[in-house]
Amino acid sequence: MEIEEKKSRPFLSILIWIIPVFLFCLSVMMILYTPVFQDSAFKVKFLFAGKSLFEGKSPEAIENMVLRSGRTISSIETKLEKLKPVKPYIVVNTTENRFSLRNVDGDTVRTGVCSTGKNELLIAGNKRIIFKTPKGIFTVRNKQQNRPWVKPDWAFIEDGLPIPSARSAERIDYSTLGDYAMEIGNGYMIHGTLYQRFLGLPVTHGCVRLGDKDLEVVYNTLSKGSKVYIY
Amino acid sequence: MKNKIAFWIITLLFTACLIFVAITTIIRPVFTKNPLPKATVRNYSEEKKKVGKDEIINPGEDTATATETISNSKDSQNKLLELKRKENLLRSRLILATEDSTYLVLDLINNLAILELKGIPLHECHIIHATISNSIKLYNKDALLGWMAEPFVLRNVEATIPKISYVEKIAPKDTLEANKMVTEPKEAKLGDVLVVMEFERNLRLIISQNEQPDADGLKLISDIRRKYNKNEISRSIQALTKFNREPVKPQIEIVIPKSDATILYKSLPLSPRLILKM
Repeated sequence: MEIEEKKSRPFLSILIWIIPVFLFCLSVMMILYTPVFQDSAFKVKFLFAGKSLFEGKSPEAIENMVLRSGRTISSIETKLEKLKPVKPYIVVNTTENRFSLRNVDGDTVRTGVCSTGKNELLIAGNKRIIFKTPKGIFTVRNKQQNRPWVKPDWAFIEDGLPIPSARSAERIDYSTLGDYAMEIGNGYMIHGTLYQRFLGLPVTHGCVRLGDKDLEVVYNTLSKGSKVYIY
Repeated sequence: MKNKIAFWIITLLFTACLIFVAITTIIRPVFTKNPLPKATVRNYSEEKKKVGKDEIINPGEDTATATETISNSKDSQNKLLELKRKENLLRSRLILATEDSTYLVLDLINNLAILELKGIPLHECHIIHATISNSIKLYNKDALLGWMAEPFVLRNVEATIPKISYVEKIAPKDTLEANKMVTEPKEAKLGDVLVVMEFERNLRLIISQNEQPDADGLKLISDIRRKYNKNEISRSIQALTKFNREPVKPQIEIVIPKSDATILYKSLPLSPRLILKM
């Protein structure tokens, strides 16, 4: 019997050291995982959560606040309504190279693939030219059929050709833009392409290229002043 | 006997240590510091000019005049709460609709993340899973109004993918060199996405992808997560030395498809605004 007692004492004394070890580990855990402990502590805090903002206010005051809030909401809704486009518009997604054509109510009438800027930085001596499609809101400024493209300097730099004079006939290209073109400002356009197989890929110098059928529908739906949203 | 004394000394020491750590890093910041500070209502003169002559009523302007303490019916309080929430949301939308940059609307009621420009939804994506920290989720719904009254402005962002990436190309010297440089365009491979956005008013938004990341992506993702964990640990250690820890950062984590996460991150401007609907 005595022998058994003697054996169990050291066992118990070792086991009891678990308590300080546990306390130490818990302290370290609290430092290492503070956000987790804090998040749990919020459960306790909100058991005794403060009272509602509207508590203690008379029914008349609440009724007044409801009326005023209702008036403000309808006033803001009217203002937001005024900001909506009044003409059909197009939304261009440059990450996925897709477009959606929408009517004035915001319903999508056509979607499809397009090509947008290739995000390339062309370094030519001191010149640095970035080929990217700008993001934001634009307006269709001009619409033209069979529009010739007046090649800018970068088109020659990119092809390793000498840059001709500003009015040189070499700059005029009758086929690249396709059947229709819509200017959206700063030299950027929505136009057709000779490279239909690249649709859906980022290959352009900043313009938005559409397939022939899509381009025709977009050209006939959008008018001068229509909005172009690019993101 | 010696062991007994040592045991009690160490146990008491560690108990004191635990109490100190708990008070400094958890109890004090949680119970004494407001994690959701009220939005500072800005001067709306600019917005008024842009939108029209009618004034935009500032949040918090509606204060009851009566001071009589009467218990109100829950219905009218709930109705007012709903109206106030709608009013806040619409006001934020109006403010941002007068600006020319895209912003993010996080609709946690309908589980949608919407990219908007001038009030027009450009891209909508379904939130597969959203985790909201208790400091937001359990807060009084009406007390949240003050916190969400204004759009949140981004303060800091960390992401596994670049916002804009350019391929550099040296211009060819002649047509021969230009012809050699012509390559067939390929579809760009989407990188694995984790975006940690820290907004004003303590809000942290984490956008993560639903798909399993590859080995490289996993490394990038864990690097960012580890960095934020390290920051939290160093804050806790600092708090122990200064007996003062900054307010808790309420966190919202959304899981969306990889393609949507990429679109959202790449399409938002450098300093985007966020509207919360919850």
